[in-house]
Amino acid sequence: MNTKFLTGVLAAAVLSLGVAAASAQNPPIKLENVAELSGPGATVGTNWKNGIDLAIAEINAKGGILGRKVEVNHADSQSNPGVARSLFQKAIDANPYALLGPGYSGSVKVTASLAEAAGLAQVMGGEAAELTMAGHKNLVRTSFGQQSSMPKIAKYIAEEVKAQAVAVVWVNNDFGKGGRDMITKELAARNVKIVADLSTEAGQADFAADVVKIKNAKADVAFIYLNEEESARILKELHGQNVKIPLIGETTLLGQKVIELAGVAANGVKGHVGLTTDAPVPAVQEFRKRFQAKYNYVPDHNGIKGYLSVYMIKAATEKMGKVDAKALPAALHNITITPDKEPGILMEVTVDEKGDLDRMSFLGEVVDGKQVIKQVLPKLK
Amino acid sequence: MTLQRLAVPGAILAGIIALALAPYGLKNYGISILGLWAVTTIAAIGLNLTLGYAGQVSLAQGAFVGIGAYATAILMAKGVPFGATLLLSGLLCFAIGWLLGYPALRVQHHYLAFVTLAFATLAFLVFRNEQWLTGGIYGISGIRRPVILGWNTAPERAYFHFCLIMLVLVSGFVWWIVRSPWGRAFLALRENPVRAASLGVDTRRYTLMAFAIGAGIGGVAGALYAPLVTYIDPVPFALSFSLNLLLMVIVGGGGYFFGPFVGAMIAVLLPEWLRFAQGLYLVAYAAAVMVLLVFWPSGIMGILDRLLRPADPNQGAAR
Repeated sequence: MNTKFLTGVLAAAVLSLGVAAASAQNPPIKLENVAELSGPGATVGTNWKNGIDLAIAEINAKGGILGRKVEVNHADSQSNPGVARSLFQKAIDANPYALLGPGYSGSVKVTASLAEAAGLAQVMGGEAAELTMAGHKNLVRTSFGQQSSMPKIAKYIAEEVKAQAVAVVWVNNDFGKGGRDMITKELAARNVKIVADLSTEAGQADFAADVVKIKNAKADVAFIYLNEEESARILKELHGQNVKIPLIGETTLLGQKVIELAGVAANGVKGHVGLTTDAPVPAVQEFRKRFQAKYNYVPDHNGIKGYLSVYMIKAATEKMGKVDAKALPAALHNITITPDKEPGILMEVTVDEKGDLDRMSFLGEVVDGKQVIKQVLPKLK
Repeated sequence: MTLQRLAVPGAILAGIIALALAPYGLKNYGISILGLWAVTTIAAIGLNLTLGYAGQVSLAQGAFVGIGAYATAILMAKGVPFGATLLLSGLLCFAIGWLLGYPALRVQHHYLAFVTLAFATLAFLVFRNEQWLTGGIYGISGIRRPVILGWNTAPERAYFHFCLIMLVLVSGFVWWIVRSPWGRAFLALRENPVRAASLGVDTRRYTLMAFAIGAGIGGVAGALYAPLVTYIDPVPFALSFSLNLLLMVIVGGGGYFFGPFVGAMIAVLLPEWLRFAQGLYLVAYAAAVMVLLVFWPSGIMGILDRLLRPADPNQGAAR
């Protein structure tokens, strides 16, 4: 009796050891995300975070990456580059497989060198042109940089709208200034004159004076490059002051959040959209439904960016055939990911040697409170 | 008596040794937060001199830290050695503090707060808009940590030790000032300016002096901040930083020598410790600060002072 009992205990012990060993062989893949979860970038960071969580839940439900579950830890940068840097240090100390975020370009700039020194991949949301020009080998975008999107907008303004004089309204932070510098250069190259160059503040509430300046400048077109909430405010003011010229923007101006906040004032707004949940692509529509079902709001482009960041890591890892943090940065460059092999990528994307993206994009318009895609711009290569 | 006399220097020495050894048990993140604490404490010590000792409410301290940081970053990029930029940053802020003080110190209390608030906003706009000098909104990146007398401070731990040495030096300097005739004059100004003037204290000169020295110390903090973060842009030096420094001095205990140390610890470290509360951590931090200020307006050092010295009628203004 006693021997039987002992054998039973031994068998149980061996079995549990075996289980422990098996899970030690397959520890979860750890990701660290540093994003703007509070402060002025909270809309950006929350969308980004929820996109990441959704992707990870889906991947884990299907067995993980190369048989290993994925885990993520989220940290709040308070939209402050100094805090982002400290938290990035903490994220690196945790020895993750890859780093996600931040979304603000300034925060990306202070953290990129840390990721590079640690030899870890950083898949981020910043759009400022200079981020991938500094030569960081570990940095990968999830959306177009301004050097990809602004030429498309300038071409649209010059050739389709046939504008001669443009008023440019921009938010004076690194995102807005980067876009303003790039569009100014691109418009000048197409002989379009900038008749008003209006710098505004992040968090600005009153745009009455700026709108008066747009009216006085006699512009054919106003190009508006602000963050979400400010975009909605200026649209309301333009509507209130009865400004009738075409209003053109880049992704944000036609975003879901802006349309919700601006109401009827958003109608008629046109522009280029890099990533949108209104894209006429079934996979994107499906993503939007899943996201909305889980978080009870319609994601903007930042939600898609967060979602794609995880799938980009998955695709690169599976291409390598191993979970190797040091080799991941190289695997994330010069790679084309297609939806037939990795459905989570939603649209075919190519990452070049600098970490910039090539993907199809859209020209859209807001009609009756909805973003409508008027034209699909194919991948460049 | 001798033992009691030795207690305070002994405790300070033990504190310095504990701080010097702290990074050995920490990862890079912990060390960088400690470095941030040391630099912020220096800035708060400067404000404590202006606000706590001389009673001048300044909302410009964050701007002085910014001026120091930009001066250091710009000069280092031009090849000036760090030792010289550190000194120049301090002197530049001292000079600007003095010049600002002339018109600003004609007013007192909340009026002075408004004047210095305007200065802080102006400094932010200069950092952001004068792109030829400051790099504008893109900031200045790639700031190197210095090699001081052959000692390479590039690793996190080495730079923290350097900041700690600077903190000890600045503290020693302020300790001396507070106990010098100047410091006595500052206290006299805070407690009763009319009486101080009637006793022959040149109130205008001493107020200016307190303001300018506080600004100069802010400049030194800025000079240390730039290589700590290795990148500066205008955003960290916006008005909210000045308000945060004011909060540190008040929460720590204005006019107490160790007030800024405790205040900076609360402002820099408490939000980090509260991160386990996830989405609620900033709410918890704000609630803790509000409770503290409602029930103990003299700050943490005020509480300690009351607990350690329950009834001493001889305790005057000097603390």
